[in-house]
Amino acid sequence: MLNTLAQAFALISTWEVIIAMFAASVYGLVIGSLPGLSATMATALLVPVTFYLSPIAAIATIVAASTMAIFSGDIPGALLRIPGTPASAAYADEAYAMTRKGEAELALGAGVWFSAVGGIAGTLSLMILAPPLAEIALSFSTFEYFWLAFLGLMCATLVARSSPVKAIAAMFIGLLVACIGIENPGGVPRFTFGMTDLFGGIEPIPALVGVFAVAQVMRAMLTPEPPPIPRRKFGSIMAGQWRLTKKYHVQMTRGNIIGIIIGVLPGAGADMAAWVSYAMSKRFSKEPEKFGTGHVEGLVEAGASNNASIASGWVPSLLFGIPGDTIAAIAIGVLYMKGLNPGPTLFTEKASSMYAIYLMFIIANIIMIPLGIIMIRLASYVLRAPRSSVMPVIMLCCAVGSFAIGNNMFGVVTVATFGIIGYVMEENGYPVAAMVLGIVMGTMIEQSFVTSLIKSDGSVFPFFERPIAAILAAMAIGALIWPVLVWIWRRLRREAPTAASAR
Amino acid sequence: MRLPDRVTGLFLVGLGAAAAYGGWQLPPVPGQPVGPNVFPLVIGTGLALCGLAIAFGIGHSFEEEEELIPVEGGGQPAPPTGKFYGLRALLPPALLLFYVAVADRLGFIITAGLIVFVTSTALGARWKLSLPLAVLAPIGVHLIFSKLLRVPLPAGLLPMPW
Repeated sequence: MLNTLAQAFALISTWEVIIAMFAASVYGLVIGSLPGLSATMATALLVPVTFYLSPIAAIATIVAASTMAIFSGDIPGALLRIPGTPASAAYADEAYAMTRKGEAELALGAGVWFSAVGGIAGTLSLMILAPPLAEIALSFSTFEYFWLAFLGLMCATLVARSSPVKAIAAMFIGLLVACIGIENPGGVPRFTFGMTDLFGGIEPIPALVGVFAVAQVMRAMLTPEPPPIPRRKFGSIMAGQWRLTKKYHVQMTRGNIIGIIIGVLPGAGADMAAWVSYAMSKRFSKEPEKFGTGHVEGLVEAGASNNASIASGWVPSLLFGIPGDTIAAIAIGVLYMKGLNPGPTLFTEKASSMYAIYLMFIIANIIMIPLGIIMIRLASYVLRAPRSSVMPVIMLCCAVGSFAIGNNMFGVVTVATFGIIGYVMEENGYPVAAMVLGIVMGTMIEQSFVTSLIKSDGSVFPFFERPIAAILAAMAIGALIWPVLVWIWRRLRREAPTAASAR
Repeated sequence: MRLPDRVTGLFLVGLGAAAAYGGWQLPPVPGQPVGPNVFPLVIGTGLALCGLAIAFGIGHSFEEEEELIPVEGGGQPAPPTGKFYGLRALLPPALLLFYVAVADRLGFIITAGLIVFVTSTALGARWKLSLPLAVLAPIGVHLIFSKLLRVPLPAGLLPMPW
């Protein structure tokens, strides 16, 4: 183990990795802080760059950029009441209320400090959870993989803040997209309509760039520009954070744990973690009446939570190729490209690379503190960049980046198409994250499904015969009928008061 | 672009049915009960069922209306609403397709400059900002992607000296 750790250190202490990590950190901080540019978009636009890096440096850029962007979204949330990334939306009101009370330093300091703590807690969970799970996963057959993938997809639809029916529909659309191409059990061209460009299937990365970046530029076309940030001088940012840590250590730990759990659940990412943790903090607080008036407690818990989910989202990604959130979905694409195919054997055969990932997460969360403080102080300059100068550059990166993935113009067509699909879906309440998951997992779920069916000779019973498969199946089916139960419960509860008032 | 649930639902029914039919038409692998046709059949059927449910408004009660955060201080200019205002959203994908169509002939720098200029102007920039941006941004992107990352960007009419 010490030997592997030493190897991991050797892997990450090259100039390439160090420069890549630093540059990606700065990039993540800037993109995350600009309203309308999300952490997922920052990561998606990085992918073309990672082609030209060594595997470890490529992962380093993704780890650093996503970690920084999730924190950095707090900055405009606190200063402008406009969250920089969806993950900061849960507590943007609270942070802005603190700024108006003259406590901007405390709010932003809590953002950077508890984000770093949360990120490290998430990394620890990755280190502790992943290897034993890998041991179990080694004995999985296609039946277990099928149910696991199915469960992952169901989780993604459960946690969507939208109608579960629409989420399931979005997931099916994603799976349908994954059907395109000749990579199927029969090796026949499927849904290619005779276009040779479609034979290879739809690449997930251009689809992701379209859904998260182009759709965002499209939305910017119709929404008014956010107001410029007022110039302000900041006092000490880290002052008082240690006091907060001691005062709210229960909240912080709870936030970390919730973040880790939500991160591990497929499809649910940092934004969900922040919403749940903020609500939880208010629910269990001794002074819930202070929430919404600029009270730091919720910020501590939610800030600790959303960054914890980033690292733990890598657990299912590395083990099964099932993305824990949309950022991990991109990471999976990069892992495949770099020959680090996700799977339980990754932890035995490429152990040093895994340790390198842990180390990079820890380093990213530590350097986030100084870089984050610099970013906060520079925020009033960075946030002054008008949208009309940022969005055109994003457009160019979409065009060039999607071209670079296969040196093929068809990638650009894919990006444009998925921009439209993503925009229309989001406008109509279809969660795009569920579709993304469908696209990323489609091939895997089809393979495990069809192989299982061939093994069982078309019978359904072997799907439930192995013990772990049966448990996973029960959970997956439970996830499927859960919304129905909630709906019935809500109906009953709504009818009870109306009946009472009628009397 | 907010469509009624009935429209999107029925569209999904059509899409699902088409997928199921298309999957069903695929040739099976000889001597094997399941082939490439099973999965699209399952997905298509599921999608069509979801579409039906959406069209009938099932699950609508779960949707949360998006909260609009009002900006403090100073009235926000109301977004202009015209018949064609909504079509502005289609500008970014249209520009990307424009890139696909002409980049090989005009070259990266010129095409990219046009894209930047149009996007920037559409987002309300004056020419004092959008013109220099249209010159500098393509050169910068070209420098990074073509020089550093060796992406073969089309040279076209205006090749770069590096």
